[in-house]
Amino acid sequence: MLRSKAALAKVGSLRTYASASSVAPTVLSTANGIKVAATEGHPDSPLASISLVINHGSRFETASTSGAAHYLKAFGFRNTQERTSFRTVREAELNGATLTASATRENITYTVQCFRDALPYFVDILGDIAAATKFSEHEFRDIAKLVKFEALGARENPQARVIDGVHQAAFRSGLGNSLYALESSPVHTGDAVRQYAQSAMQSGRVAVVATGVDAVTLAALVGESKLAELTNEAAVADSKAKFTGGVHQIYESAAPVSHYALAFESDPSTAPALAALLGGQRRLKWGAGGASPLAKLAFSEGFAAESFSFAYSDAALVGVLVSAPSSHIKAAVEKVAAVVQTSVAKASPDAVARAVAATRLDVAEAQATQQGIISELSKLALSQGPLASLEAVDSMAASLAQTAAKVFSAKPVAASIGLSQTTAYVDTLGF
Amino acid sequence: MLEGVARIVQANSVFRSLCRPLASTWVNLAGYRRLGLRYDDLLREETPIIQEAISRLNREEIDLRNYRHRRAFQLSLSHQELPAPQWTKPQEDVQYLQPLIEEVSQEYAERDAFNSMISVRK
Repeated sequence: MLRSKAALAKVGSLRTYASASSVAPTVLSTANGIKVAATEGHPDSPLASISLVINHGSRFETASTSGAAHYLKAFGFRNTQERTSFRTVREAELNGATLTASATRENITYTVQCFRDALPYFVDILGDIAAATKFSEHEFRDIAKLVKFEALGARENPQARVIDGVHQAAFRSGLGNSLYALESSPVHTGDAVRQYAQSAMQSGRVAVVATGVDAVTLAALVGESKLAELTNEAAVADSKAKFTGGVHQIYESAAPVSHYALAFESDPSTAPALAALLGGQRRLKWGAGGASPLAKLAFSEGFAAESFSFAYSDAALVGVLVSAPSSHIKAAVEKVAAVVQTSVAKASPDAVARAVAATRLDVAEAQATQQGIISELSKLALSQGPLASLEAVDSMAASLAQTAAKVFSAKPVAASIGLSQTTAYVDTLGF
Repeated sequence: MLEGVARIVQANSVFRSLCRPLASTWVNLAGYRRLGLRYDDLLREETPIIQEAISRLNREEIDLRNYRHRRAFQLSLSHQELPAPQWTKPQEDVQYLQPLIEEVSQEYAERDAFNSMISVRK
């Protein structure tokens, strides 16, 4: 199926991660230092996926490049020196492939889902994106419309804004940067995006992860593509995320519904389990019968409380998003804070068992879906924190109650949108 | 194929040294430089390809192009020429639009090729 294996000689160190799960990923490093991770998947499945993961998300923006990560995401699969965007799209259509670009605060990911036999072609495409995108000005004008639309859409969504706000309150710059290019973004030309991309496309910041192919074959393909031309010269200074305190308030007093996010600092490995311990209404729609104290409270009082967790390479947030009619938001937030202090921080063994079971299910799901596997492989390839595994969940189960007691008694950060005049500053919530 | 031949002939230094004086005379006789225009200002712009190429110019180039056009219309209406020092100098007469036109025509050709192709399954 594939081309000569001559390029295999260039493949460097080999690390294999033993795992009892279905994901048995292998990480290789190409001659110029690009990390390549792949998992073969089910041998009968003709399906494959390949992603170019660039560790240069909004976290790495500075004041002069604010919003550039959003533009860089939108520049995926556009005109390159080798082929036009039109041709890429038409050929993807002929292959039945899907092309997607997504961004987190840390990574920008371009993903192709395709059949296994089309993989070599799409490795070429991803190589062109990394090394030869044109960033021409007339394309920038089209892309700017799309970026503006996405940013306005996110602005229309109060939950998304409040989650952005809680990151800003927690981390200020770095992880606190918005995922979206705001209207105030100083990025106005394709050239500005090109400069940001040049600092992003360093072989040390780029990983290629794939499913449906073995890592050795993938590394050989990557070695033959334009990705092999990337170098690692201008190192970007990684600054460690620092959890600060505070509250981010957005006043929209006329809004009928207000939202309040309360977030605590936690360890990336325990954040999902702590979110499960917080509970809320994510898993069981009819909260009255469930055992989660937050869900019960929300159901009886008529508002919504949903736990969330965001794990990054060196920091994590875990917390609860409260949404209530603006007239009730003050009482709702105070009651939720009280429940977190009384019930969640002093979790019973039963509650811990429920949280562990829920986390195990999430981990198992992440290992079974293509999306989940891609994000786990990116984490592995770019060394962004521990891999989720059922064993890891089991091993932290014993200390989860202690961890919860510690995490949920520390001072949280908060963000609110809506009738923020009435909602509490974090220091009056009693933490 | 003819384009290839043309390219070879144009690259020939003897041919170039013969033609260059003639070409300069011809361009000067055409007179557009006396109105402050550049050659690419004269290209027929009522085609989709050139419209697209013009839309890809940056703001400053568009403004200068519009200014040259307006000035030339005004001069033409009043049967005047610019004073000689303001004539377009040969080194200013650059092809600012031609590369874009070529880029856009290639894109159009590619689009046509895809729209009329027959897909063969191996």
